[in-house]
Amino acid sequence: MVEYSERQGTPVCMSQSPLEKAVQFHRHVCPGLLMGVRAAEFALQFLRVSPDRDEELVAIVETDSCAVDAIQAVLGCTFGKGNLVFLDHGKHVYTIASRERHRAVRIAQKWGNLRGAEFERFRALAQKTDLSEEEELEREELRGRILEQIMSLPFEELFDYREVQLDLPPRASIHPSVRCVRCGEGVMQTRAVETGQGWLCRPCAGEA
Amino acid sequence: MCEANVYLVRDGVEELLMEKVDRVVPGADDTVMLESVFGERRILKARIRELELVRHRIVLDEVRPQVDADDAELWLVPDTGHGHFHPGEEVSLTLWKGKGMRPGPGLAAERVEAFVVRGGQQVAVGLQSEGQGLRLSLGQGEDGLVTVYAREEGDRRCYAKVIIEVGHHHHQGVEPVGLPLEIVPRTHRHVHLGDHYEFTVLKHGRPLAGATVRATYPGSRSAGYPVRVATDESGSARVFLTAPGNWLFSVTDGDVTSTFTLVKGF
Repeated sequence: MVEYSERQGTPVCMSQSPLEKAVQFHRHVCPGLLMGVRAAEFALQFLRVSPDRDEELVAIVETDSCAVDAIQAVLGCTFGKGNLVFLDHGKHVYTIASRERHRAVRIAQKWGNLRGAEFERFRALAQKTDLSEEEELEREELRGRILEQIMSLPFEELFDYREVQLDLPPRASIHPSVRCVRCGEGVMQTRAVETGQGWLCRPCAGEA
Repeated sequence: MCEANVYLVRDGVEELLMEKVDRVVPGADDTVMLESVFGERRILKARIRELELVRHRIVLDEVRPQVDADDAELWLVPDTGHGHFHPGEEVSLTLWKGKGMRPGPGLAAERVEAFVVRGGQQVAVGLQSEGQGLRLSLGQGEDGLVTVYAREEGDRRCYAKVIIEVGHHHHQGVEPVGLPLEIVPRTHRHVHLGDHYEFTVLKHGRPLAGATVRATYPGSRSAGYPVRVATDESGSARVFLTAPGNWLFSVTDGDVTSTFTLVKGF
C-alpha cells in the first residue's frame, strides 16, 4: 500500500543554493536562518573568497541564534573545525575573516530592521503554543512574507558592515589526551587540571 | 507516572510535541487538551494512540480535517524525492484527491482519466489503485520533459498537472496542454527554495486575470493554504518559495478546479 508522503530528497546531481544548504543543515526555515544566509553570502562577496575548505576562513559570531547555522552551512566555518568562534554577547554580529586575503568584515544586524507590526505579530504567534487554525494560517502567511522580505531587501537595509583589522586565532591544533584519574575518561591535556593525584577533567575537578 | 512527554504522529513520523505534560483531557470532535507542569496549555486535533506509562510517553495520532467532497482537488506527485528522474529509470507518479496536499477518500480509477503529453502528442495512461491514491506507471524514462495530467469529470471538474523532468537541465519554455483551466509555469527550470516562481493561469487558453491561486507545501501545519496570490491583468502571478519539497498550486473558476505540482529537487 502506498502511503502518502512528500519526500524531501537529498540531491546528488543538482546544485544546492546557499539557502538550501542552510536549510538542510538547520532542518527548518525561519527568519533567523535567512538573516544568517544573507550575512554569509555578503561576506563571501565582500572578501572575494569561496566557502571554507580547510580553515581559510574564520567566523566570529556574537550570538548562538539560528543564523549561526547558516554561517556554518554556507561559509563552512564550523564548530568542529575550530574556525567558528562563539562570543556569548547576545548580538547579531558576525565577523568573517580570510586568512589568505588578510581581510575581515564585521557585519551587524541593523536595529529595528525587522521590528514592524507584521514581524511583532509573527513573533507573538510563533511563541504561542495553542494556535487556532486561523492563527496557524496567519502565522504561516506572515512567515512567508517575512522570509521574502529578508531575501529580497537590499543588504544595507538589513545590516551594517565595515572592514576591520583582526588578529586571527591560530589554526586549530591537536593536543594529546590524558586520562582523568577520577572518572577514567580521556580529556584533552590542555583542558585538564594537573593535581597531586594526577590529571583531572574539569567536571571532576569541580571547575565545570 | 508523574508527567510525560507527548509525541504526535504526523504523516507516519513521530515528533516530540510537548514535554512534562501532567494533564491530558480528550475533548469533543477529536480534540485533546494538554497541560504541562509549567502551565503551558495546548489544544489540538488528535487521538490518543498509546500511553507508555513506564517510559512516560503519550503518543497521539494527528487528526486531519475532513475534506468536503465538493471542495476536493486532484494533484499529481512523481515518485521521486530527487526532483527528477534519470534516463532509463522507471518513471511513476501518484494521483491524489483531497485538499491542500492532504489526501482524502473518494478517488476512483473508473472516474478518472490520465494522459501523458510529449512532443505535442497525448497518450492515455492507466491508473492503478494503491491505498488512497492512484498510481501511474510511465515505463522507462526518455531524456526530456514530460507533462502528465489527470481529470475527473462530474458536477465539479477537477484537473491535475505536473511536469516531470527525465535527465538534467531541460530548461525551456512550457506549452499549455489545453485544459479548460490551467496553471502554466513561465519556464521549466531547476527551482530553488528562496526563488520567485512565476506562472500564468489560462482559462480556455486565454489569460485569466484576478484569479486567486492558492499554494501549499509539505510540512504546512495550516489546514488551509498558507499562500494566496491573485493573477494580474496578464493572468500571471508569482510566489516566493519558502519551503523545501514539492509545491502545490491550485486555482478554481466556477465548477472547475485545476492544480499544478511544482517538483523541486530540495
